[in-house]
Amino acid sequence: MLIEQLINGITLGSIYAIVALGFTLVFGVLGIINMAHGEIFMFGAFIGVLVTTSLQLPLWLGFLAAILITAVMGYMLERFALRPLRHKQGVSHLAPLISTIGVSILLENLSHHLFGAGNHPFRASFAEINFQIGSITIYLVQIVIFVISVILMMSLSFWLGKTKAGKALRATAENLETASLLGVDTKRIITMTVIIASAMGGIAGILVGMAFNSVTPQMGLSMGLKGLAIIILGGMGNVKGAMAGGLILGLAETFIVVYGDSGYRDAIAFLAIIVILLIRPQGLFGQKIST
Amino acid sequence: MVLEIQKVCKNFGGLSAVSDVSFSIKKGEIFGLIGPNGAGKTTMFNLITSMFPLTSGDIIFLGENIKGLKSHQITKKGICRTFQNIRLFPQMTAKENVMVGEHCRTKSGVFSSVFGTKFQRKEEAKIRTKANELLEFVGLMDYGNVAAENLAYGQQRRLEIARAMASDPQLLLLDEPAAGMNETETSDLFQLIKKIQSKGITVLLIEHDMPLVMKLCDRIAVLNFGKKIAEGTPAEIQNNPAVIEAYLGSEEDELYA
Amino acid sequence: MLAELINPYHFQVASFILINIILGISVYITLSTGQLSLANAGFMGIGAYTSALLTIHFDLPIVLGIIAGALVAALLGILIGIPTLRLQGVYLAIVTLGFGEVIRVVFINWESLTKGSVGISGIPHIGREILRVLKGFGFDPKVLGLQNNQFIFLSIFLLLFIITIGVIWFFRRQHRSRVGRAFAAIKLDEKAAESMGINITYYKVLAFAQGALLSGFAGALYAHVLAYISPADFAYHRAVEILIFVVFGGSEVIWGPIFGAFFLTLMPEVLRFISEYRYMIYGLIIIILMAVRPQGLIDVNILNWVKSKGRKRGQKHGTGNTKSM
Repeated sequence: MLIEQLINGITLGSIYAIVALGFTLVFGVLGIINMAHGEIFMFGAFIGVLVTTSLQLPLWLGFLAAILITAVMGYMLERFALRPLRHKQGVSHLAPLISTIGVSILLENLSHHLFGAGNHPFRASFAEINFQIGSITIYLVQIVIFVISVILMMSLSFWLGKTKAGKALRATAENLETASLLGVDTKRIITMTVIIASAMGGIAGILVGMAFNSVTPQMGLSMGLKGLAIIILGGMGNVKGAMAGGLILGLAETFIVVYGDSGYRDAIAFLAIIVILLIRPQGLFGQKIST
Repeated sequence: MVLEIQKVCKNFGGLSAVSDVSFSIKKGEIFGLIGPNGAGKTTMFNLITSMFPLTSGDIIFLGENIKGLKSHQITKKGICRTFQNIRLFPQMTAKENVMVGEHCRTKSGVFSSVFGTKFQRKEEAKIRTKANELLEFVGLMDYGNVAAENLAYGQQRRLEIARAMASDPQLLLLDEPAAGMNETETSDLFQLIKKIQSKGITVLLIEHDMPLVMKLCDRIAVLNFGKKIAEGTPAEIQNNPAVIEAYLGSEEDELYA
Repeated sequence: MLAELINPYHFQVASFILINIILGISVYITLSTGQLSLANAGFMGIGAYTSALLTIHFDLPIVLGIIAGALVAALLGILIGIPTLRLQGVYLAIVTLGFGEVIRVVFINWESLTKGSVGISGIPHIGREILRVLKGFGFDPKVLGLQNNQFIFLSIFLLLFIITIGVIWFFRRQHRSRVGRAFAAIKLDEKAAESMGINITYYKVLAFAQGALLSGFAGALYAHVLAYISPADFAYHRAVEILIFVVFGGSEVIWGPIFGAFFLTLMPEVLRFISEYRYMIYGLIIIILMAVRPQGLIDVNILNWVKSKGRKRGQKHGTGNTKSM
């Protein structure tokens, strides 16, 4: 039983890690929190539902559609909500945050109108397949989710560390001006970062659908806040921290549901945000934030 | 002694910005702090006004160790500063900027302000009068209602001084007040600082304009790479080989600014 | 004849406009020190639940319940405000968002106290209370030619109107004083303000607590006007709604949230089709405003323009020709 909960926690945690990575990428490069990230994630999930359940198309097409659409959404977010703010004089540092809040409620309401409120079932064709190891049951779905998550995280790490584009991104994250002076096309990097982050959110959305067999429009807000909790826990802008934080939150939530009062499950993330920011604002892995 | 800097050190990570610096300032002096760029002068100001904590050492102001106090407490004790890159409140008028400077010498809180008690009304009147006086003192009396961001550069520098004086400081820290000024403005500034001295206020001055420094200051300390390399009267400093070396070694135009 | 003028529904909308104005001001006040608090919906809920529970279970008079609600919210505001001081803008916004959510989750789960998602009904109603008291003195609305419920809605509106005017007056006076200048200085340049002798800890917590007090106060009023509350009334959507009053109406002057609350509460009533797409429109408004006019519609320039039309030349008021209103 414990092992199964552990597996649940890891599955959930790896999805959270991907969402958190999306947040962390944008924060690292742009220095802003994208409050609309949760809604983009939710859209990814719904696209998955549309493709697989309503259109009865194979799962991988669902992934493709989700990635495409959320990538486009990311582009539009950057182009229309964020870029206009970058070149204005004297804009308060709160403006991008507020702007992304605007995008988030726009998207949330849009999804209500497009998809309707309430649960939408999500059936992966292989949802029932499971393996027995002793007394432990592992579902194929869980394995697939974990594998996809790990591949995603490893590719991202590799891409950031070894490829030219990835290094350009890290340079831009480190110091926009310097990167620009060194010849990096920072505008393109920024756009690309938001697109990648959004696509990752979309993938995570489908993974959640697979994990819980249903999606609701409320997922967006809830995931958005949890993603925040994770990157704060792990250290804003820190890739390792996002992954570790995601895992930790996934495990914590799973165990609280089992051993504690499940109603307060969502509060864990929010309390974590508050406590971490108060005690150790730089998170587990972050650099000291100068005040 | 108004201010005693005792073996003050400041490290940022592995970098030593200020290293074992000591000097003292007498009451009523104009004391100059000079040195090439990056020598640690503004860091010294930041340490005195507690913008960040010391790594080690002590700062004694009027006999009291002010290490560890918060910035606003230090202002209340009687030290106030201007900033190297001018930090006025841009959308406030010149007069309002000065009025803000008087904050720590006034008391009215929320309730007396909202309900307009007699005390508060009198205090407001005094605040305005004093602000006008200070604007006149620095020569900005016609610009009271102009937004600070709309003032000319030289006027902004003078406004910052007026604002700093509004807190009735015993020690005024001026960070490169002559930066970007032409000859006329600089000579006006000289007169202004002399006027400040005649009011009994002690002045600690960071400046790169050497002729101004030599004319104005009673004593000078020279920093380089975070360490004090010389201290003395203007004449002594000008002839000090270490000082000459420091300036010629880094940027020649510093000395001839 | 008076009866024909008093449409209870109109007065109810007007009452909500007034409550929203107070909520808008609560965010504005905290924002005037540069702090964005997204917790005011949570504080609103605290004020509402405190007052509702005290008046229902302990038979506390409504007035005392409302005061208690506001004070509890303010206390919580101070408790939250102090440790979060060190956080810069965005981090504070997130913590307050998290706090608001924690409150909501507590409301939903502490069923023994709050009845959970079902909510609390049967909260003592201010209007009916006023009517009861007046009838005790022998007054009958028919004297004015009004039905009971017309009188109730009218009296609620008048009470809220007086209260709102009081709140606006209070904060305008505060703005033009030493306290207001300190707030403005902190917003413009916190470090410089501190160097000029302003105790930024005190003033930031003060602004935060005032914001919490006002939203708690508005929440308690809300509870006794609607007579029913549930956790959903104080969720993230509410926080965004209050935020948009300020973002849209104007974040730099007190007339901003007043106008924002007025306009945005009225519009969905007047234009029905807007009501359905309300949040999408809110979202668009926020995005567009941040891009083209981040200070909101009403700023100091607009106010000065209005004043120059309406006042005699040469008459000074407040602190002069400024942008710091």
